[in-house]
Formats: sequence, C-alpha cells, structure tokens
Amino acid sequence: MSGSKEPKAVVLLDEVSTIYEGERLPAIRDVSLSINAGDFVCVVGPNGSGKTTLLETINGILRNTSGKVRVFGLDVTESGHSVRTRTGYVIQNFEIDPLSPFLCKNVVMSGRVGKIGLLRFPSESDWSVVDRSMRLVGMESYADRPVGKLSGGEFQKILLARAIAQEPEMFLLDEPFANLDLKSRADVDRLISDLNRKGATTVMVSHEIDSIPAACSHLIVMDRGRVVAFGPRDELLSNGMLSSLMKERGSVH
Amino acid sequence: MISLPFALLVTATLGSILAGLSCSIAGVFVVRLNMASIGFCMSHAAFAGAAFGLLIEVDPLLTAMLFASATAVLLAPVANRAKLNTDVVIGIMFSLMIALAFVFLNLSPGEAASGTALRILWGSIFAVSEYDVLYLALLCTVMVSFVVLFYKEILALMFNQKLAKAAGVNTYVFMLVVVFLTGLAVSFSLKLVGGLLVYALIINPTSTAYQFFWDFRKIMIFSPVIGVASCLVGFVFSLETDFPIGASIVIVSAILLAVSIAVSPKRRTVKGAALSV
Repeated sequence: MSGSKEPKAVVLLDEVSTIYEGERLPAIRDVSLSINAGDFVCVVGPNGSGKTTLLETINGILRNTSGKVRVFGLDVTESGHSVRTRTGYVIQNFEIDPLSPFLCKNVVMSGRVGKIGLLRFPSESDWSVVDRSMRLVGMESYADRPVGKLSGGEFQKILLARAIAQEPEMFLLDEPFANLDLKSRADVDRLISDLNRKGATTVMVSHEIDSIPAACSHLIVMDRGRVVAFGPRDELLSNGMLSSLMKERGSVH
Repeated sequence: MISLPFALLVTATLGSILAGLSCSIAGVFVVRLNMASIGFCMSHAAFAGAAFGLLIEVDPLLTAMLFASATAVLLAPVANRAKLNTDVVIGIMFSLMIALAFVFLNLSPGEAASGTALRILWGSIFAVSEYDVLYLALLCTVMVSFVVLFYKEILALMFNQKLAKAAGVNTYVFMLVVVFLTGLAVSFSLKLVGGLLVYALIINPTSTAYQFFWDFRKIMIFSPVIGVASCLVGFVFSLETDFPIGASIVIVSAILLAVSIAVSPKRRTVKGAALSV
C-alpha cells in the first residue's frame, strides 16, 4: 500500500497539487499516494477537504497544477482519454433536469461510449452489458423510462449502472450512497464490494464514517486539501483521530 | 399570390428546406446545452459580420460565418475571465454586435449596400443564390453525417459534459464542432430568414419536438422534420400573402409550437393512473 514505486500500483500520485482556475489556494496540495490493483480505498474527510478534487485529479477531469499523476502506468496529462475509458466514475450530487430527454438505457449506454470507440455503433453485446448493469442495480424495468422522471435514489442507481456498464478496471465513486434509502444502501454496498472482489480497484469518497463498506481495506483521510493519514482502515478508525477530525470540522457521523 | 420564375422558385424552395434542416439540427444542441441565448447572440454577430463584409466588400456570408463562430468560441473564456455569468456576457456581446452592425452599415457606401444589408436583417427569397443553396446543402450533409456517425458521443455530451468526459469522450473537440456547426447554420440561413429571426428557426422546432418526446433520438429526428415543415409552409404562406419570408417562417413555427404546447401529452394527466400503479 505505501511506498511510492510499487510495480502493482494502479494509481500513483507524486507531490500532486490541483488549483482551480482563478483560485490561489490549491484544492488538494502535495498529495503523494499509491493505490494497488484490486484495492478498495475510501477517501474520508470533512466537507471541502478536497475529496472530489482528488478523484477528478486521478481521472484527469481536473488537470493537476503540479506533481505527477500516473494511472494504469499512464501519465494522465498525456493519456487522459485512455485512462478515463478504463475508469468508471460516479459523479456526486448530480441534479437531474426534469425535462431531460434521455431514456435510462441510453444514459447507461453512454458510459460505454469511450470504450466502444469512435465511428462504431453499439453492438448487441454492448446492449446486453447495459441490460446486465441495470439488472445489477435492480433498475432493469426502468430501461425505457425518461431519467428526468426518476427519484434521486433511482437516478443514483442509474448513474452507478452507467459506470458498471463501462466494465472499467477501476471505479471512482463519489458518495455513491447519496439519496439512497437503507435497503438500497445495503444493496449498493454489496454490489460495489462484489465488483471489487472480482478485481476492480475501487476508490470511494464518503463524508460519513458509518457508510464505509466492510470490503474497504484502507482509508485516505483528507483535511484542508492535504492527506493527513493513509493506512489500514481498522487502525485509523480505532485510534480516534478520524472521529475527532470530523467533530472538529463540524460533520459528526 | 406572387408568381416566381421557375428557377427562383426551385432555389428558394431548396433554400427553405436546407435552412430549416440545418437550423433545427443546431437547435437540438442549442436547446439541450442551454445555449439558447448563445444562438441569439450568434445570429446577431452573424448580422454584424455580414454588415462588415459589405463595408470591406468581401462576401458577407464569409464575414458572417467568422463573426458568428468567433463570438461563440469567445463567449465561455470571456465569461470565465470576467467572472461573470455567461448570460451577462451574452447580453453585452449581443448589444455590442448590434452596435457594430449599425456602425458598419452606416459606413457602407451607397444605396445598394444598405439594400443588401436590410435583406440580411429581414431575410429575402431573392437574396438566396444557387451558391447559397450549394453551401447549405454541403452544411446539411456535414451536419447529418456528424449526427449519424457520432450519435453516441453526441448523446453522452448532451446528457452531461463532465460524465461524457469521464467516459473517455473528447468533449472539448465535440463542443467546438457543435458550436462551429451552429455558427455555420446561422450564417448560411441568414440571407433567407434574416438576422433578426434566424434564432427562432433554431429554437422553435426543437422546442416543439420537446413537447412530444422523452427520447433524445426522437427529438433528433423530429426537430429537423418540424424545422423543414415550418420553412416550407412559411415559404408558401409568404408567397400567398406577400409577407417577408423570414417573418412567415417564424410565425408558422411559433404557431406549431403553440399548438404542440396545447396538445402535448407530457402535460396530460391520465385519469385513473394513480389507481393502476
């Protein structure tokens, strides 16, 4: 897990800072970490600590201002598209436009666009992956419904199905339990743990310590843009540092 | 009823069909990306560009294209740099373009130029040449091919730009193409529909299609159908009534939109639906 040059590292960050355009303070600063293939890592920390920025720096949606980001052995600045094609991303707090003229199955298929590649049309096997992904999240009967009419929780599951349909080597999940009721949380928890067990590296952001899945082995603790702790989950949860940090910053869970 | 020479009738009919097709395809992008006001700004930039072309005695179509595309491409960076809402920047650009258009027209020499300029402002069947029809035909071919070949990328982009990027779509290039094609559609349709009205031809057909469909594919198909129908009916209406063609087309497309809002199934509540769930 630690050590910056392990051969199996899927994600390798070396002294990385990301500054939003027009800002002076970096949203994440001097972050160095490595995540190995097949790991399940949760990024925790108070609001505004840079968790989402970390995820979007990993898949290159945000360009890092300094340092090096390597994913799957590729430099994200140069090979961002190829990294993103192999990475499934579930975005946080996505507001659905009620007039959105898209059917669920098409939204789920849109996750595979980069994987299918330019100038190719989705084949039958692509559609069967879409069907399977929707079944996995329990939304198979919603294929022909417009996304604009879904509830927040249903939409969250469609977004997850979209990432699963991509059949990625790594998942970046930003608050995947948002808007979900207790039963759906348990289902999604089981599902992402299962996908991880089948080999997908998983990096999940959570602002609630309680919602960290049991399958998660390591935690990255962030505060004010810095990684303040990175280690085995049980160790970090038991030493009390995490809960006191969350209390101090005003989010008690 | 105006009777036109056959050749002019053919040119004008083809021009109407192709302008309707290109503008309403662009409309699908513009409406979905909430760029309605960008389309508005672009059509006036194209008008200012055409006026500039008359002033420096260059083909107004070329300068219209340049102004429209440059405005669209500049909008986002300017809004970003100025830390202002895009809508505010559009408002500023829009008035600047109108001001520039007036200055250029004022400086243009002679009566002929101002007559041409007025035609660009109001649109005219007589302003459309065979070359304009040829350009429009080429543009329509490019637009239809773009939509067919890159439909899945376009759908991903129209659903959400960030998620499209996260799935490996080169959103920057696709957005540039979308904005550029919209600029071309506006510029090429300017002579027929007119700078003040071309905007309506962009958003009305798509808004009409939105009243009936939840599926992006159907909107992508029916918006051009409605656009072409509006232009053809508007053209005939203009011949019958002697109204300017741009005004006729816009009135027809607005009537279609009004009727579709009235009969839209999206607003209908099915009786007993609550019981059957």
